[in-house]
Order: sequence, then C-alpha cells, then structure tokens
Amino acid sequence: MTSQPFVAMNQIEKSFNGVPVLKKVTLEVEKGEIHALLGENGAGKSTLMNILGGVHQPDSGQIFIEGKQVTMANPHISQTHGISFIHQELNMVGDLKVYENMFLGSEIRNKAGFLNVEEMCRQTREILAELGVFLNPKEYVRNLATSYKQLIEISKALLHKSQLIIMDEPTTSLAEHEVGRLFELMRNLKKSGVSIIYISHKLKEIQAVCDRYTVLRDGQLVKTDDMQSGNLEEITKLMVGKAISQERFVHEHEFGEMALEVERLSSPGLFKDIDFTVRKGQIVGFTGLAGDGRTELFESLFGYRKKYTGTIKVKGKAMKITHPRTALQAGMGYVPKDRKENAIIKDLSVVHNMSLSSMGNFERWGFIQDKRELEKFSNYEKTLNIKVANPRITIDKLSGGNQQKVIIAKWLEADTDILIFDNPTQGIDVGAKQEIYQEILELAKLGKAIIILSSEAPEVLRICHVINVMYHGEITARFMGDETNEEEIMHYATGAKREGEHIG
Amino acid sequence: MDNINTKEYSPESPSMKSRLSWLWSEYSVIIAFIIIFIAASVMNPRFLDINNQLNILMQVSIIGIIALGMTVVMLSGGIDLSVGSVLALAGVISVLALNASGSILIGVFTALLVGAFAGFLNGLMVAKGRIASFIATLGMMAAARSIALYIAEGGSVSGEVSGFTAIANNNVWIFDLPVLIFFAMAVLIYIVMHKTRFGRYVYALGSNEKAAMLSAIRVDRIKIGVYTLIGTLVGVAAVIETSRLNSISSSSSGAQYELDAIAAVIIGGTRMTGGRGKIIGTIFGILILGILNNMMNLMNVSPHLQGFVKGLIIIIAVVFQKRE
Repeated sequence: MTSQPFVAMNQIEKSFNGVPVLKKVTLEVEKGEIHALLGENGAGKSTLMNILGGVHQPDSGQIFIEGKQVTMANPHISQTHGISFIHQELNMVGDLKVYENMFLGSEIRNKAGFLNVEEMCRQTREILAELGVFLNPKEYVRNLATSYKQLIEISKALLHKSQLIIMDEPTTSLAEHEVGRLFELMRNLKKSGVSIIYISHKLKEIQAVCDRYTVLRDGQLVKTDDMQSGNLEEITKLMVGKAISQERFVHEHEFGEMALEVERLSSPGLFKDIDFTVRKGQIVGFTGLAGDGRTELFESLFGYRKKYTGTIKVKGKAMKITHPRTALQAGMGYVPKDRKENAIIKDLSVVHNMSLSSMGNFERWGFIQDKRELEKFSNYEKTLNIKVANPRITIDKLSGGNQQKVIIAKWLEADTDILIFDNPTQGIDVGAKQEIYQEILELAKLGKAIIILSSEAPEVLRICHVINVMYHGEITARFMGDETNEEEIMHYATGAKREGEHIG
Repeated sequence: MDNINTKEYSPESPSMKSRLSWLWSEYSVIIAFIIIFIAASVMNPRFLDINNQLNILMQVSIIGIIALGMTVVMLSGGIDLSVGSVLALAGVISVLALNASGSILIGVFTALLVGAFAGFLNGLMVAKGRIASFIATLGMMAAARSIALYIAEGGSVSGEVSGFTAIANNNVWIFDLPVLIFFAMAVLIYIVMHKTRFGRYVYALGSNEKAAMLSAIRVDRIKIGVYTLIGTLVGVAAVIETSRLNSISSSSSGAQYELDAIAAVIIGGTRMTGGRGKIIGTIFGILILGILNNMMNLMNVSPHLQGFVKGLIIIIAVVFQKRE
C-alpha cells in the first residue's frame, strides 16, 4: 500500500432539510484497492458517494485526491479527477447503439469532424471482450438484457480510464457467471492500480472480492477494517445492529388442496412445455440464470403476455387468462421484479399505491373513502413494519424495502390465494429482506400458495419447499428445498446437466 | 424514524425556504394568477368592473369545459387534437337534429352523443389500435372537420327552434348559464378524478402504464373512457357554442380550440407525459388566458399581436414551473 490514499474523505457532514444524513464520516481508499461500502438502505452510502461524485456538496469536511484537496463542485469535475460512478439505475439510451452509448459525450471524430464509427466499434469490441462479452457494437441497447446494459456501463468507466470506479449494487441484475466475470475484471483492474468502491448488500460477494470494508449506520461511521479480519456474521451485525441468521427459514407444515396446475405451457421463443403444480400453503421457487424465461413465464401466467398455449387450472378449474385483471379474478397476485419500472406508481401516494388493485374494498356508492384507505394502510404499516412518516407522500420517497412492502400490502389487500413474487428482495437491505421472508412464510402458513422467482439460488434455498431450476425456457430440474444445494442448482441452471423425464 | 418526523414538523430556519419552494411548486399557477390579476387591475381600472369580470368568465367557459377534458387526457399520458373539429361536427349535426325534431332536448342529446362517439373512436384507436394519441386525434381532427364541412356544405347552419338560444344567453342571478355549466363540469370532473377509481386509474396509467396494467387495471378501457369523456365534454361545449349565436360554422367554429385548451392545461401545471397535474390548476390556467385576452382588448392591443403574447405566456409558464 502506498503511504498516501488515492481518495480521502475527511469528516464529511451533510444534512437535508435540517436532517443530518452524514455525521463526520471519514473514508479512505488506497490506490488499487477494492473497498466495500456497507450499510442498510438509508445509512448514508449513496449520499456519501454522491458527494464524491460531485452530485451533492458536503456541509463540512474535505475531500483529498492523492493528497491534494479538491472541491467536487459538479459531476464533471469529479470525472476529470478520474472518478466514475456506476449507478444502480442504469443510464443508457435505449434508442442508441452499444458503441454510441459507450462514447456518448466523448465521440471519436476523424479529421473532417465526422464520427469515426469503425474506431469506436473496434474499441467497444475490445473492451467488451476483456469482460468476456461478445456483442455486436451496432446492436441497439434497448434490445439487450439488463445484465448486458450493466456490463456496458462498466465498460464505459474502463473506457474513460477511471482511477476510481464507484459501483452501486452492480450485481443485482447479473447472472452468476456474469458476476464471476465481473469479479475477475475487478481483480485485474486492481492490479493495474484502479481503485474500486463497491456498494452491495450481498456480503458473500464482498468477502470474495473486497480488500477492506467500511460500515455506515444511520449516517455514522461504524467501522473500517480489513476484510480478512471480520467474518460475515459480525459485519451483518455491524450493519443492522443485531445478528441475522443465514439459515434455512422454511418450516414444514401440511399443504392444502391444489391451488394452481400448469400443463404444457409454451410460448415460442420464451419457454416451452412447462408443467408444475402449487398447493395451498406451499412455497415453490423458480431460479435460473438471466434468459431462463421464468419472468416471461409468469408474466404470461398472469395475463400480461397473451401468446401462449397450454392449460392453466386454478383450484381445479381450467382458466383462460388474457389480462392481469382476469388473473386477479382467478385469484392470482403478482409482485413483479424491477420495482421501479413494473410495480410502483411513483406519482401516486403510498396509500394509493396500496389500494390500487382492490379499489372495490374502499368504495361506497362508487366513491373512494379516503378514511378507509388510511385505516387499512395503518394496519399494513404495523403488520409489515412499513416505515413511513406520512403515508400521503409519493411512494418514490420511500426506501426500496419499504416500497416493496407497500407493493406486498397491495396484493394482500387484493386477497388472492396465489401470490407470485419475482425477485422479491431485489435492491433491498438485509433487515428488510429478512422481514419480507418472514412475511412470505406467514402467508404460506395462512394457506396461500406462493411462487418465488429469484436469480439468487441461496434465496430460494432458504425459503422454498420445492425448487424448480430453469434453463433456456425449460424446467431442467426440480428439487425438494431441503435436498439440494447451490452447486447442484448451478449445474442445472447453466444447462450442464438436465434431468430427463424425471420431474414430478 | 424520528428524523423524518423532525423533517416534517420542525420550524427550523431552512424549512422556511423549502416550504416556500414547496408552495411555489404546488401552487405556482395560483400565484401567477394573483400576480397577473393584480397587474391587470393596476393597469386598467375597468378590469375590476364586475361586468368585465363576468364577461371574462363567460369568454373562458367554452374552452374551459374542453380544457377540463384535456386535463384528464393529458393526465393519462395522451393528447387530443380533435376537440375543435369535433365541436364543429357535433354542433352541425345537433342543429340538424334540433331543426328536424323541434326538440331542444334531442338537439342537446345529439351533440353529446356525437362528441362522445368521436371520442370513443379516438379511444379505440389509441387503446386497441395502439396508435399514438397525437396521430390518432390528428386524423380525427381532419376527418371530423371534413364531415362537418360536407354536411353543412361548407357554410353555417342555424337553429330554427325558439328557446334554444336560452341555453347560452340566460342568466342565473348574475352568472351566465355557460359559466355555471363550466363550474358544474369542473366540480364533476374534480370528483371523478379524486373520488372515483376511474380518476385514480387515470393517474396510475399516466404515471406508469406497465405497472398499472400489472396492478390488474384494464388500461385499455380506461383509455377509451378518457377519450369518450373529453368527447362528451366537447359535446357540451358544442351546445353552448351553437346556442350562443343560434348557429354554428362548419369551417371556423372551434378552430384552434385545441391549442387554447392544451395551453390552459400546460399553464395549469399538468405534466405533458401524464401522471401529475390538477384540475384546479387547469381552471386557473384558463382564467389566466382569459384575463390576458381581456386586458389586451381593454388596452387596444392589435388582435394580430394577441397570439404572440399568449405564446409568450405559455412558454414563460412552462419555464417557471418546477421541472424534474
């Protein structure tokens, strides 16, 4: 390690509207170090990074780069100091091509002042190849899966020869093998002297790749230490202030009658010959890598997509589901993935988001009863532990975990027998995650049929009775939740292995 | 959580500033209205005359009724360019029905029906045909005007039933009837938007269509409903327009009404892409436009320059509104 850290943030303080968000936080990142920044949502990680990125100005405190004090007045200045910020929400222009996104704002031009497309494509291809991705640079970004967009974002930082890359939850939308590739890349970057600040909720990943960690809680620095000297449980404890078990969660109980039977469900290009059943009280998981078709499968089942064949029986009755409304009437609820795009209505208040799918419960003579909505919401606020000071504020002001709980409340209010959760803990901090698992188990105990889709094998391992593994639109294996492990699941998820006739 | 409470309720000094900016972002149109109102009264004493005030209300009532519907359409994330043409078409057909039947009721009903049907077609094109609302209603704009011209042979049609003119020319107390109809419609639309599920769904749809659909909302039906609603309101406006002079021109009636209606909605602070906006904002938006027109008339500004001032105000309004 060099004597001087690459970046030092000293005694940073920041408050919004009189509420302190950061209290004298100090962070140092050495040259060529991967530094994990940990903390629950709302701990102040993003604010700290936004200050480093020049988005916010600190109230007090200094920032030093290679020993020289700097003022990050705006994001551009931060960039010229060699800092790249890869946000959790990707900043990609869908209607531009891959190489155009890569070089947006710093296009290469030839002598005549025209764009040098070939050179940009060549460099794009080179950098993507380093990441192990082979993409046509002239592909439109809108046609790509989210995981690819993420990789392009990272490539962009590499392209700009950044000295410090801030990665905010880069692996949320990546499949396991892509995560591996990313880590390898991070280690390579490290060797070439690039520093990385890595924000993530996935402690395992952090242990695998990071050198040191800093934990923030409620805007205060809790601890900075070497990764080797701490174990995961201890770090978790530091983050939430209490210990959280990583054990298998699910309790065995009697299942009820058949709730959902799916036979030979197929949709060209998305999934084929899907058979499975869910009983009341049962938690059935689906996992796989990106592109396995599980989201498309359940979007079809829920009536969002219409081009499919096969039979769906709800409580023994064959149903033709053509719209989410008919799915709701048949007794299905769906908590989609990518909360921001698919679940929350950001201009509506927290209460109104909760009541959206079951307006009938709140009406009298056709008019909405505000009071009834608020009463109902305060029930959910307590049972789901939703943290919101004023339920009339718009939902986008809440943290991810609280938003997700409101969406869950929405479907509880709709009172469906079958509940489908797609990546239910995406971008949610450890504490809230635990609460959501707990709630899902409670629901199963109450006799709801639960389906969990997750890109994280450990998640389905922890809470599901039955686990289906998908690969390229087919179910390649089915396990009892307590009879398998992550490794085995990976074999089937990567298509390395498949169970023949088997399943069922 | 204590933190959030203090943020909401603490009377600390920084919150004064943030409260002002909140007031501005939520109610900028009302503040603008007050400023313009005061400026107008200072510039010309005749402005405050009660008859002049009532006159302004009368002048904005027709566009006001349309602008209410436009607010709903724009909240849903769409736009309706066909309102002016549909107004002419509904007016022409309703006068024919009025003259043929001799019944005012049938005349009024025909206007509402024609407006609603044109709106319904717009809704079908947008929801089922998946045509961008701009394009679908642009088509309707051309088509409806053309049919109106064809039916009226390019000219005007006049009512031959006595009593029809009473609709737009009678007073209740000091108010002209159209003003009261406008107020009644405003209250009605306000209730629809804030007290019924339809209104809630419109906001949801305009804010995030996919999430609305995944919340089991029948998005297509809401869209059709939205365009049918504005069509019906255009029918109401057509009745008033026709009744005022007991005739309607197939070529000029309703021309550029869509621009004034959209302008009122935009000045009122409704977001172009939908999901955010208020009926009350539109009402003040239309009043601002009315006052400006009135002032320019009082001050003898050339009518050719009035469009310039209006355009300027629209742009200033949008610049000053808090942008995200």
